[in-house]
Amino acid sequence: MTGHGENGTMIEMIKVTKTYPPDVKALSDVSLSITTGEMFFLIGMSGAGKTTLLKLLCNMETPSNGLIEVAGKDIHRVKGRHLARLRQKIGVAYQDFKLLTDRTVAENVAISMEVSYKKPQLIKKRVKDLLEQLALSDKHNTVTGELSRGEQQRVALARAVANSPTLILVDEPTGNLDAGTTEKVMQLLTKCNNSGATVVIATHDHSIYRNTHHRIMELRYGKLHLVREGMVS
Amino acid sequence: MSFWFAVLRQAGRNLRQTWPSQFMTLLTVSLSVLIFAFFFLVYNNMLNVGDKLGDDLRLIVYLEEEPGPEMQAQLKRKILAFDEVDEIRFISKTDAYQRFSEQLGENRDVLDDMPQDFLPASVEVVPLKNLSSLSQVKNFSDYLSKLPGTIKVQYGQDWIERFYYFTRLLSIIVLLSGGLLILTSVFMVSYTIRLTILGRQAELELLKLVGATNNYIRTPFLLEGLLQGLIGSTAGILSLYGLFHWVELKFAGPGILSIFEFTFFHPQTVVTIIAISIVLCAVGSYSSMQKFLRI
Repeated sequence: MTGHGENGTMIEMIKVTKTYPPDVKALSDVSLSITTGEMFFLIGMSGAGKTTLLKLLCNMETPSNGLIEVAGKDIHRVKGRHLARLRQKIGVAYQDFKLLTDRTVAENVAISMEVSYKKPQLIKKRVKDLLEQLALSDKHNTVTGELSRGEQQRVALARAVANSPTLILVDEPTGNLDAGTTEKVMQLLTKCNNSGATVVIATHDHSIYRNTHHRIMELRYGKLHLVREGMVS
Repeated sequence: MSFWFAVLRQAGRNLRQTWPSQFMTLLTVSLSVLIFAFFFLVYNNMLNVGDKLGDDLRLIVYLEEEPGPEMQAQLKRKILAFDEVDEIRFISKTDAYQRFSEQLGENRDVLDDMPQDFLPASVEVVPLKNLSSLSQVKNFSDYLSKLPGTIKVQYGQDWIERFYYFTRLLSIIVLLSGGLLILTSVFMVSYTIRLTILGRQAELELLKLVGATNNYIRTPFLLEGLLQGLIGSTAGILSLYGLFHWVELKFAGPGILSIFEFTFFHPQTVVTIIAISIVLCAVGSYSSMQKFLRI
């Protein structure tokens, strides 16, 4: 994913519907464009379809209808090696973390860089930096199964941003965090955004988007509504 | 980090985490190779013995009466009409008596009262070396027995038949143990890889999501299969060599085994057995990946 779509668009969703069997509509005719380098907040109550939308964007789920393009490519038509390359450039922090609970924090963070064959010294340095930024330096060699939920959440976030992806998808990044740690997490995401990454944050935590100047959209019963237009900085 | 460094590290991690099942598979592959190679070695040596016996094979055609020069020429023509032969030798009654007398050695005086023509004249036919199968020898013998003036044809039928059936039985055992080697190697390796895959489902899923290529995920499993084949078969062959060496030392000197010269496999055969085992184990690993590693 070296470039982006038409007119600098990173994500293009056109009339996307997702129905789970037998007949549960999670998303209904969702259309959305997110420009490259934008920070975008997706809000909504639990069960509104935020996670489904993120899963569609990283090709964990396929849409029942509609078109989804990421960096100008129909993500559900990309296969094999090309899909792997695309995924290396999408960092995802999952709501259920998806950590390897028998591996250390450092190993978990390193995994996203290892698959793109980064040099071991580079991986070591990046892991150290990220853990410092997320106040996890003392947990470097701790097995992730022994961490608290809040710590696991930060490890998942560190792994998502470790490979310097051009698109970062974050699902409820502050769900288990106190105010101080929430601040640190948002600082890291803002830093990534400032260095050019497109960041999509799905959350229902009012505190993290209350004072933002970025675009906010709300999912209500599977439909998307604009809450606030972003301001050009 | 290069692809191979990453893959080797992953394979090493797999082996460390699942070493008990890996060890059992290694043991099974070694035993299968040992059983197959043992019978194959015995079979090979029996074939060598058979070749040696074949070199000494001759058919003796006993005749009713001493053939004159014209009859000898006729018999020669008739024999050659069936097939090319290495040699045809006519043994007169007197020559037969002389030979027998020489064979008796110190006991030749038992022939003192016997007339010198009491043994029948015969023709010794030495077939070509390519006359290898039992049925070919039998056909030739049948043909010779129908020649006019023939009393009997002898070539050590009983012994040759027994030896032939023994080598045939051995070839069946070699085939069966070869089949066993194929089945156990493929099954055990595929089962171990399957267990590893199922035990690491979450990790494989994550690797896929963070952008690992199919090769990155699959190659360590394939490497495990190759290693199982290489180490297992080498261990099996080495054990057989140890056994062979022990038998050689134990039964050295005069005895039944010293009649035959037993040899171990040629290096090419050893390399072939190891290569086939590696391929079989790789096939087992690949089939498991195809079934259980949905990427």
